[in-house]
Order: sequence, then C-alpha cells, then structure tokens
Amino acid sequence: MSAQFFWLLPTAGDGRYADAQQRIRGERTTDDAYFLPGVTDPRDRNFNYFDYLHQVARAVELAHFDGIEIRNDPEGEESWIVAGYVSRASRNLTVLTEFDASRGSAVYAAKNAVSFQRFTGGRFAWKVTVQPNAAARRRQGDFVEEEGLYPRIDEFVTVARNVITTTGYDFNGRFFQVLQGGFQGPLSGQKVPPVYFSGSDEAALKLSARLADVHVFNALPLEDVRLLAGRLEQYAAQAGRQVDFGLRIDVLARESEEEAVFDARRYAEQSGQGTQLQHAGLWAGLTTSTTGADATLVGSYEQVIAQLAAYATAGVNHFSLGAVPSLEEAYRVGENVLPGLRHLINSANQRAA
Amino acid sequence: MTIDVFWRIPTHGEPSSLRNKLHHRGDWSQQHGDHVVHKGLSGGHDDGFTNLDYIAEVARAAEISGFQGGLIPSFPMTDEPWAISSFLARETSTFRFMIAFQPGFLNPVVAARMTASLQRATGGRALYNVITGGGGPAQLWWGDVAPHDDRYARTTEFLDILRGVWKGGEFSYQGKFYQVENAALPVQLLGQDFPEIYFSGSSDAALASASKHADYYLSWLEPFDQLRDKFDRVKERTAALGRKIKCAVRVDIIARRTEEEAWREVRRGFENLDGAARERYKRFAEQAGDSVGASRQRGNAPKELNDYRDFIIHPNVWSGLSLLRGGQTQGIVGSYEQVAERLDDLVRLGADAFILASTPHLEEAYRVGEEVLPLVRGHDSTATLRAVG
Repeated sequence: MSAQFFWLLPTAGDGRYADAQQRIRGERTTDDAYFLPGVTDPRDRNFNYFDYLHQVARAVELAHFDGIEIRNDPEGEESWIVAGYVSRASRNLTVLTEFDASRGSAVYAAKNAVSFQRFTGGRFAWKVTVQPNAAARRRQGDFVEEEGLYPRIDEFVTVARNVITTTGYDFNGRFFQVLQGGFQGPLSGQKVPPVYFSGSDEAALKLSARLADVHVFNALPLEDVRLLAGRLEQYAAQAGRQVDFGLRIDVLARESEEEAVFDARRYAEQSGQGTQLQHAGLWAGLTTSTTGADATLVGSYEQVIAQLAAYATAGVNHFSLGAVPSLEEAYRVGENVLPGLRHLINSANQRAA
Repeated sequence: MTIDVFWRIPTHGEPSSLRNKLHHRGDWSQQHGDHVVHKGLSGGHDDGFTNLDYIAEVARAAEISGFQGGLIPSFPMTDEPWAISSFLARETSTFRFMIAFQPGFLNPVVAARMTASLQRATGGRALYNVITGGGGPAQLWWGDVAPHDDRYARTTEFLDILRGVWKGGEFSYQGKFYQVENAALPVQLLGQDFPEIYFSGSSDAALASASKHADYYLSWLEPFDQLRDKFDRVKERTAALGRKIKCAVRVDIIARRTEEEAWREVRRGFENLDGAARERYKRFAEQAGDSVGASRQRGNAPKELNDYRDFIIHPNVWSGLSLLRGGQTQGIVGSYEQVAERLDDLVRLGADAFILASTPHLEEAYRVGEEVLPLVRGHDSTATLRAVG
C-alpha cells in the first residue's frame, strides 16, 4: 500500500499564526463587539466552531490528503459527532475517529460504526485510546483500574469485529457480554473499521500485534521508531499477523529553515514551553494543546520532506500530520510537502521492489 | 401553549404504499420475509447512495411541510440515530433530531459531551427519545444484561448524571450503575439547551423514572379511555414529585380527502396480506419480551384475521397496522377532517405533542403537513378552521 497522509482535526480549538493562544475559531464567546464601533460586524452569532471544523475538513480533502484524524480531546467537541458532521461533506477522505474504550457498549459502538460505514461508503476507521491518568478516567465516569485498560480494548475490538462480521455471536467477557449478536439485513456485510492503536510500552505493542491494523508512534525520533517497529514486527509475526506502522507528528514547514526556526522559537516563547531540538529538526516539547502531538518537525519544505521520508524507510506508511492553524497549514502542507514526499516515498518503494 | 408535531424517520426503508410489500427505498428490500440489500437502482450497480440519502429527503420534507422534526428510531437492523443526526446536521435547517436510544449503551459523561456537541453542531436541534423497555433475548443481543426494572433505575441514574454535568462546574455521583468523580463539560460546550426528553415505557418502573426526568411522556396510541387514564396517572405521579410533565402520542395515520378513500387504502393492504404475514401475525400475538407497552398493544388485537373492519376499535381507529408493516398496531384512518378531529380528541384527553407517521414518509409528510395539520386546533378551542385545499 502506498503511504497514507492524514491531517489532524483539532476538536478543542485552533490557533493563529504568530500567536500561540488557543482559540475557538470562528466563534464569538462574548457579547463584546469584535470590531470597533465604526465597522459593521455582520456575523452576530451565526457561526460556531463546527462551521470552522467543516471548512478544515474540506480543506484537507482539497489539499489531497487521504484522510482526516478526529482527535478525542476531553476538552473539546465529541469526536463521533464531529466525524459525522464532517463526513457528509467529504467524498474520499478516510475518517479516522479517535475515542476511548470507556464510551459504552461495544455492540452499540460497532452498530454506530456500521452506520458510519454505510453513510461514507466504507471510509470510517477508528483509533482506540486509553486514558493513562486515573483521575482523568474517573472524571469520565471510568473507574477501571490501569491493569484493565488493555484487556478492555482487547474485548472491545474483539466484540465489535465479531458483531460486524458474523451472526449468532456469543461473548461473555469481563467488560462486555453478547448473546446471539451480529448485524443483519442492510447492516450486514460492512467493512470492519481499520483499528489504530498507539503507545510505546510493551503491553501496547503486544496488543497491537494481536489486534491492530495500524500502530501509531507518537512523534518519536527515527531511531526509536525503528527500534519499536522492529519489536512490534516480531510480536506480530509471532501472532501470525502484519501490522502497519503509523506516525503521529506535527510539522512546522516553511520556505526556508530560517523562517521555520523563527516561527518555532516564537511559538515556544509565547506558549512558555521549554523546547529541545532533539534530533534532525525534531523539536520535542514544541507541541500545541490543540493537536496533541508530542513533538514537531521544524524545517524547510525540503527538510521536512526528507525527515518524513526517512520515517518511511523505517516502515512507516501512515502519517498523521498536524499544524496550527489547521486550515491554512492543511493547504500549505498539502501543496508544499505532500507532492514531494509522495514522490520520494514512491520512488524509494519502486527501487526496493 | 401550542402543541408540537413531529414526523417519524423511516430508518428501515419503506415500500411505496401500505399495500406494497417490497421495500424499494434506500437500500432496503423485503422479500419472503428476508431482508435483501439492493445496490442502487440502476441495474443493481452501486450508485453510491444509501438509505441516508433517502432519510435526508424525508427530513427535509418534514421541515419544509411544518413538522418540528422527526423521531429517529433505533432497531437492531437499522442505522443509528446518533450517526444519522450528526451526518444530517448541516443538511437541515429547522429539523429537530429526536434521537431514540437506550441510555445503558453509553457512558453518561461521554453522552453529555456528545449531546452538547450535537447541540452546537445543530444550533440546539437535538432531543431524546429515551427508551428502556424491550427486553428478553433482544436486550442481550445489544450486549445488555441488566434486568427490566434495573434498566429503568439505570436510566434514572444516567439522566441524573447528564443533568449534573450539564449545569457546569465539577460533578460527582455515586450510583448503583454509574460513578463519576469531578466530571465537567469543556467550557465552550456549556450553556447549550438541555435536550427535551421524550420518555417511553408503560411499566411502573418506567413511570417512576419518567416522573423524575421526562419532559414528555410518550405513548403509542391506545384506546382513548386507556390513554386518558395513563396520562392522568403519569401526570399525578409527576405532580407528586413537584414536577410537571407533558404527554405525547406516537401514532400512524392514513388520511385522505374522503374517509372512503382512506379505508380503501387499509382494505387493499389487508386483502393483500400473504401467508407469511398471517403467520407473523400469529407469532406476534403470542410473542413476549418483557415490554409492557407491547403487550398492552397486543391485548387489544382480535385473534383471527377475517375482515379489516374487525380491527376498527373506535371511530377512525384501526388496530391492524402492524399487519401491514412493523411497529405499532393502532392508527388513525379517515378524511383529513376526521384525522384532525381525532388528534384534537387526543389533545383534549391530555396530549401536548404528536409524533406522526405515514407510508411513504416522504410524500405523506407533505400531504399531512399540507392537509391535516392546518385543521388541528390543539389547545385553542376558539380557533376557526382553515379551509383545506
């Protein structure tokens, strides 16, 4: 499969250029006039953040990305609602929706997923996450202990897969039960949404080896990705499976390295983040609360293309990119990074073949 | 106070009329009792459209012809209302999405965030039809093991948490089914209208839960006297808790220019019943989950299928509808004037809202919106009738 490029949709707000503050873009939050009294403001309260999210999703498609990743941010809009809202406007994008396995019944989630598949012509994918912080879990009404998190995902995915692909399905697990489950009639025969997992610990890798279609590494340096990918490959082989590798990473790409570094420094200063140039343009700590990546690739278009292509040589074929502001940057990256990157990766693949 | 009229969204495909057994619309087809998927309409090829595209047509028709919105039901074989609502949010203007769901299937904190987001996506057009009944093996199909009365207690807790989180600030709760510690909605999601709750369920456990949380107590059509008693009972119980509740009736209607035409529609459907439908009727009469509402409906049905007129149980009320299509048994049949009068009768015995439906839902949304709704007086007894035509 040729490399896939997704763009991150920030569900809790976006930013602006040269301004690190997070904003609910397009939305008036106070009654205070936004323009000076001498200028008519025609907007009133006719728009909110959903109008903006919708536009970002269109931009992602027009800028020739393959998919859109809808972040599950507890401080933002609910990801499934956003997914449905933007899906109807897209024709070809894969809609990768992130959520936590604590959201409820696996059968109900699977049934909703089947509707998403039917409505999008099979473009729905899901990324199942865990909330490692126990207090944050309890805020979500989730009192499962840490040791139960991966087993619950395991059961969730197992049940969801089986009710989508079979009928007369029984399951009696620790977290989920089903009797004679399975979807029939028009709901039958739908594609199981590709399953994306993330995480760097052994348990996450082993879970992915058994259940994931794509394992996503969160903005790690290339050498770390190589190492973990090797381990995952080994576990997957033991399970008789193959797992694709993904990379979730932010990019700050400009016409010149100088501009990129200037913007990166300013962003770090404004957001009060102590950043660290980790390795070959990868700035750890230069992260935005809106996109949630652990690090950002900073550099000229050529440099960023080269860096991302290097990840491809480590086996990564799924890139989830993000940048602030999401709309403008979707076009910038789509126009200045993706074409060269696709070309580079494809020709490398052809040489290898 | 005016009454609210909703339409119903046919998530399970539909035939072109009640006398037609084949489902043509969307990707549904019913043949010999089996559901067969049709790919598109042009030579069996996939044309890229799905049932959602037809549903979108019905939703648009409903808002254009004067309905508040529509009930989006949830059945094992149909698309899910949360998905439908989010997909159609931007494609509709005033249509209110009445989402049928069983609270037990969702984490209440997640549900609160979903709902607040949907309110923001639609400009406050989401509301709930909270369902808890059903039961028997069907409930285990959904992966739900809670017994009947416990399910209502769980529904109550679910709505407790939803309201608690909605208010803003941090919310904690210790229930039998749910615990929450310092839950909070994101600040930009606060301040949305809490969704109106239409609550279904006929058992005592259901009434107890409805009294606490429902805005509308929703019932299928039942014999008018029974319905009056039921509405009185739920209003009393709610008043005892210091709350007020409104009542709503979910009813199918067959309205035509003349009463004769309306009954002809029924007769044709009845005479068109095949052996399989008769067999299904027999099974339906015997079948039991632990839904009290469903058995109240069954209790009113004749044992034998001889003449469609045997099913007329009240002027303009026919109790054989489930023979012609799935769902409730009793519907209103008559001229536009008669149907409007029966709806007004229901208003007089306590109804404040209706969820109407008729097959096919697209054309009938226009017919009912254009011909029947202008004749309904609602609570205003001084209203003079508008001329039809």
